[in-house]
Amino acid sequence: MRLIGDILLYLLTGIIYWWWTTNLSVFGAAPNIVFAAALSAAIIARPAKALAYGFFFGIYLDMLGSNLFGAYALTYTLMAYGIYIMKRHLDLVSPFSQVVAAFTLTMISTLFYQGLSLTLAKINPLQLKAFLVEPFLNALLAPVVFYFFAQFKRRFDLL
Amino acid sequence: MNREKDMANYTAVFFIFISALLLLFPSTRIAQTARIFCSYSLYPSLHYGSKYDHFIRNVPDNFLNILKTDQENRALTVRIKELEISIKAAEAADEENRRLTSEMGLSRNIALKGVWARVINKNPQDWYGAFFINKGAKDGIALNSTVVGFENGRVGLAGRVLEIYQDFSKVLLITNSVSSVICSLHGANFEGLAEGRGTWLLKMNYIPEGSAITEGAEFVTSPGGLLFPQGLPVGRVQKVYPRESFMNFITADVAPAITINALKEVYVVKRDFPADLAVIQETLKK
Repeated sequence: MRLIGDILLYLLTGIIYWWWTTNLSVFGAAPNIVFAAALSAAIIARPAKALAYGFFFGIYLDMLGSNLFGAYALTYTLMAYGIYIMKRHLDLVSPFSQVVAAFTLTMISTLFYQGLSLTLAKINPLQLKAFLVEPFLNALLAPVVFYFFAQFKRRFDLL
Repeated sequence: MNREKDMANYTAVFFIFISALLLLFPSTRIAQTARIFCSYSLYPSLHYGSKYDHFIRNVPDNFLNILKTDQENRALTVRIKELEISIKAAEAADEENRRLTSEMGLSRNIALKGVWARVINKNPQDWYGAFFINKGAKDGIALNSTVVGFENGRVGLAGRVLEIYQDFSKVLLITNSVSSVICSLHGANFEGLAEGRGTWLLKMNYIPEGSAITEGAEFVTSPGGLLFPQGLPVGRVQKVYPRESFMNFITADVAPAITINALKEVYVVKRDFPADLAVIQETLKK
């Protein structure tokens, strides 16, 4: 039952991301809800599940894109693992720490994705606009997504 | 605690291994199957999301449209009669054109027949790379079909179909870093390769040194490129770069003929590919 709930949560996140990027992106910039969801899942869920969430959220972004298939999956899996290590030493439950974590990790994951893309496909996918704007948008969104994910965990025992 | 730590490590290794496999062997059967499986698993959310979102967004407009429709209908009935006469004249001219083209053996020019499609998703992470349209295999969309866009009455090449699903398709834009289009200038006897750069501008490469190319000149798809129908506007030259000492060709920045990222609807051209390309198409399908 919990597995079905997790799948529904995954699909719901995908649909919201899809809807937001289609209808609410301003000049091509929109917060990356999938990233915020992967981050929140990594903070809330147990390690194995957090890694699975990271991987599958990455796969979702890979499917929507046209570049390397698997690059986001690897990036978000590593991010989830990094958070698993980090949360043993840092408090990531407070909104401020989530803002800082989202800001920093967006930059790191963007650069990592860029590195992968340049190394494996000689493609330069980095858009300066996204690189400059997205960390701020993600930082603002992360505590909100975390709140909803925490509610899902508390009420439906998901994640 | 240790058990959880081990579990986390094993899981991390497992998913990293899978990701690395997908990344390092993108064209293997397993990677392709994984991609198709993921796409089809997530396909309902994309398809039904776009379908119902469109109706919900347009409810207030639809009421007004009903009132306007009746008036437009009357005006259009008159217009249709006028156009029928024009079509007859155009058909005769088109037939003559085909005959002359065929007799002169000049080109494989084709009429742009196809279907209209709505852009249903653009991913900010891949803004200049690809978008989804709401027409797929059911509507007869074929792999590598040419996708054109219209802006203020102008037509321009937008890209080609990269992936096809039952009800929607993914379009690879000409601005994508992996995209390239063979182009030529009207009346010129040279060709260049317009390559996407992942930004809104294209890079025109391999223009022979000494070619008469100026800012504002319009590049169109060349008959030398088999993938796209010839004569479709690709873009206008924005800046010409002088030849570097180590190159024997010049390059230029080209602004696409249409604002590709502002497209709401596109036209997917249906056509039979030349025999040599059709073989490749069939091989790819298998």
